[in-house]
Amino acid sequence: MKARAARAWEWLIERAIQAAGAAAIIFVVLIFVFLLRDALPAVRDTAIGGLLAGKTWLPTAEPPKFGLLPLILGSLYVTVGALIISVPLGVACAAFISEVAPAWLRETLKPTVEMLATIPSVVFGFLGLLLVGPWLAERLGLPVGLFAALGSVMLALMAMPTIVSVSEDAIRSVPTALRRNSLALGATQWQTIWRVVLPAARTGIVAAVLLGLGRAIGETMTVLMVTGNAAVIPHGVEGFLRPVRTMTATIAAEMGETAHGTSHYHALFAIGLLLFVITFLTNTVAHMAVRRSSRMR
Amino acid sequence: MVRQVGSTTALPLAEKWRAEFNKARPEVEIAVSGGGSGTGIKALISGTAEIANSSREIKEKEIEQARAAGVEPVEHVVAHDGIAVIVHPSNPLTELTVEQVSSIYAGLSTDWGQVGAAGMGEIQVVSRDSASGTYEAFKELVVTLDGTDKGREYAAAALKQGSNQAILALVSRTRSAIGYVGLGYLDESVRALRLKPLAGEEAVAPTVENVVSGEYPVSRPLYCYTNGEPMGAVGEYLDWIKGPEGQAIVEELGFVPVTR
Repeated sequence: MKARAARAWEWLIERAIQAAGAAAIIFVVLIFVFLLRDALPAVRDTAIGGLLAGKTWLPTAEPPKFGLLPLILGSLYVTVGALIISVPLGVACAAFISEVAPAWLRETLKPTVEMLATIPSVVFGFLGLLLVGPWLAERLGLPVGLFAALGSVMLALMAMPTIVSVSEDAIRSVPTALRRNSLALGATQWQTIWRVVLPAARTGIVAAVLLGLGRAIGETMTVLMVTGNAAVIPHGVEGFLRPVRTMTATIAAEMGETAHGTSHYHALFAIGLLLFVITFLTNTVAHMAVRRSSRMR
Repeated sequence: MVRQVGSTTALPLAEKWRAEFNKARPEVEIAVSGGGSGTGIKALISGTAEIANSSREIKEKEIEQARAAGVEPVEHVVAHDGIAVIVHPSNPLTELTVEQVSSIYAGLSTDWGQVGAAGMGEIQVVSRDSASGTYEAFKELVVTLDGTDKGREYAAAALKQGSNQAILALVSRTRSAIGYVGLGYLDESVRALRLKPLAGEEAVAPTVENVVSGEYPVSRPLYCYTNGEPMGAVGEYLDWIKGPEGQAIVEELGFVPVTR
């Protein structure tokens, strides 16, 4: 009797866990379906080519123009800029923490870097808007303290904890024997870190970079506050010093005022769908990279 | 419970109205929030607000949606607001024609030299975001020259800010910037330009008196929308707002009363 009750209980628990697992998948599928449902009319209103390659975003003009190119490039500039700053800095910081720093310093450094992750994004926005922006604009001789690279700098700060933390774990899990062998062969500590430890930890470092990328491309509040939100197409390196408008900031700034069911409303959903597809692809590529490098090891 | 939602321009007004009305009638529960004119009208349609504040007139499309949802929007003008064009205090200009402001916002004039302030460099155009009644009103009254040049549209390069305060702060820190804010937000950190309705006419300063007299060219009504003719607590509250006490607050906050 007791055994049967236990078996029934077990069965129940198993089903519950299965349901929880399935729920995660169902949520992702539902989000995709709802995004698609509200984004598709935008494709009907403006041909898909017009949406993706259109050079003007003027959603309240007569007639409205829903070209996403300035927004896509705006997001790209800010995100790429953030990675250019945060990846070398973050990986170097992780290598220092795990390979060079004495134990007491390591114990203070890592929690300090991770503290950055607890600061709300609106606070980074304020710092960028009132301190970093005007300071950088003056040093670089820019007319206005709101530009793409400022967004990159703030996002780099926000992505740092993720990149440092995940890379540090990866570097620390490299077997000690590898380091000892390298040093025994006469390599210096620098050569050991650069040629042996970092290549051995590349799987984790790739994961760290992609997680940082995800953090940067989806961030909304900070970029809304510091990038100026002008929907212009950035050109060349100079584009980093000019205002841009990202996809996330566009949705956040405009959704509140958009009447339900208008083509503007559907165009915003199309941006949401595009963001979803981009993060989905980033994750897939990350998983493929991780699988391949673990096979090679 | 009276929920009043919408225009950020009207938000300081709504907060003060609530506070003063509750001093006299503490038993009427009033909840005030912002979000923008469109947000307020959406809330009225979905039944999550009794009063929608709007700094622009309700759109045809919104009226259709309201009727489809069984809501009949009724319009009340509760104040008037002038929109002031502002520049950095170091800018040598003190006045512009409406046409010049329009050509700056439409991206036709991009250097301060083109409007008589040579040496100030490239104009940094600052606008509200499209989620704002002020954005619509300014486009209607200035950018399209009161509807006479419908082809003119905000330049894509305009910097977009989410609130009156954000525009004020940005213009006060940026030497080559131009922006616009509601009269109630003006302070000495920026210079408000006097505007000429047409070239050759006299320039008019953005003041309450000039908005009342109709001389200042850029002003618009602030609206409250209700579902049908307001009854009960909502009706009492709106009557109070339109009455002498409510309108005294309108004047105190730098807006223009409707009764004068």
